[in-house]
Amino acid sequence: MASPCISRAARCLASTARGPIARKTAAAPASSPSSLCRRQQHYHSYDHPSTPPFGPVDREILAAAYKHVPEHGFSLRAIGLGARDAGYPDISSGILPDGQFSLIHYHLVAQRERLADRSRELLEDDSLTSVGDKVAALTWERLVGNRDIIHRWQEALAIMAQPSYLPKSLAELAALSDDIWFLAGDKAVDPSWYTKRAALSMVYSSSELFMTNDRSPSFLETRQFLHRRLGEVQSVGGTVGAVGQWVGFTLNAGVNVLRSKGVPI
Amino acid sequence: MASIRLARPATSFCKHLIPAASRPLSTNAVLRATTSSTPENSASDSTKKLKPLTQEQRDYLSSALRVNQAGELAATLIYSAQSPIIVRKHPHLRPLMAHMYDQEAVHFSTFNSLIHKHRVRPTALYPLWSVLASGLGWSTAIMGREAAMACTEAVETEIGNHYNEQIRSILEMIAEWEAQGYDVSGEIKQLVDTLRRIRDEELEHLDHAVENDARKAEPHWLLTNVIRAGCRGAIWVSEKV
Repeated sequence: MASPCISRAARCLASTARGPIARKTAAAPASSPSSLCRRQQHYHSYDHPSTPPFGPVDREILAAAYKHVPEHGFSLRAIGLGARDAGYPDISSGILPDGQFSLIHYHLVAQRERLADRSRELLEDDSLTSVGDKVAALTWERLVGNRDIIHRWQEALAIMAQPSYLPKSLAELAALSDDIWFLAGDKAVDPSWYTKRAALSMVYSSSELFMTNDRSPSFLETRQFLHRRLGEVQSVGGTVGAVGQWVGFTLNAGVNVLRSKGVPI
Repeated sequence: MASIRLARPATSFCKHLIPAASRPLSTNAVLRATTSSTPENSASDSTKKLKPLTQEQRDYLSSALRVNQAGELAATLIYSAQSPIIVRKHPHLRPLMAHMYDQEAVHFSTFNSLIHKHRVRPTALYPLWSVLASGLGWSTAIMGREAAMACTEAVETEIGNHYNEQIRSILEMIAEWEAQGYDVSGEIKQLVDTLRRIRDEELEHLDHAVENDARKAEPHWLLTNVIRAGCRGAIWVSEKV
């Protein structure tokens, strides 16, 4: 599933994706092997070309190595095999500064961009009316992207939790939840921007963890788990919103009563 | 009555502020750093030849949009807190206050949609700015019409300068692209136009405030300087957080 899917994603990358992973047609920029270290891009430009998160050689090796993940895990061995498949000597896995983590990062970025690509047809479904439904559908679609490597994902989580990789892992998680809200068409740019993304990040990562131990057919239990968590978040958010609205209304009414009594406020 | 005055374009203050925007900026560390970036040219298939934004430029644009949104949020809240009190004491100011509020509300929604479109995070101190701005508007309105107008004068002076600095930085970015033979994207051109329009409207508010006796506020120098210092501090913080 992995490789045709990714190259397709690369070819017809949705314009909303943050940065194309594979720009086969682009004249290869002289990017250093350490292009993985590039920081998160904030301002998303629609006109200016964006710089891909991986250099061309890195990308080629990682794409080939990714096919070996179900068998060999997110390991240096998989990278070595991928380098050989891509026509480079085994030793060239050394150009990936983060070693195994490069492969995990590749998985995260590729799946995030696959989601951006898939989102169009996914959201065409008329039954998805509210933003919440769209978020649930997108989150589930992203979890399904872990299907082929889920038996290796616990090892990957252990690597991602290492202090030197944790910031990048969290940045990827943040980028994912930002993508999901953006693709779902959420336009809020007030403090709920933060709470929404934080809540979705928590729901996603706990569902992902649940999925690693899920043996049910087509991950039915994970799906139910995800919907329960999203429901909880929605009910808490709704309650907080209602309380806030009530407080605001009461304060406003109090001020207006005082004004009507002639108090100069 | 107010509408006659409003039809007049911003005059006195614009005159010495606008030329500054077209003047090349001598020092801007953020943008100077971008000149050393490697000339990476991705061949675009479109007719326009556009340079990828460097990380510094992205950071600059996102912090610019963030601080502008925070500023317009504060402005709408200041006016909405001032309006009921001022209008009750001075009913003839109702059209002016409504006009200024409406313009600020449009600015606010402009930056809200830009923030959403370019996927910039809003300022994390949003609730703090809301409380402070409402408090500022309310307390100056309590102090009277002159104090409220002095508040407008101080805020709009800072905001006008702030927008001018942004316009200057972006024009410098454009000049750099043009010097290197790249085209300028429509999105950046549009941003400059939006900033110019909004700056002119802000400076128009400044003129209205001065016409409405802002200078007669009791300790005018104290009030305006405190508010201006507060604005500068808030801008500085909003650019970062």
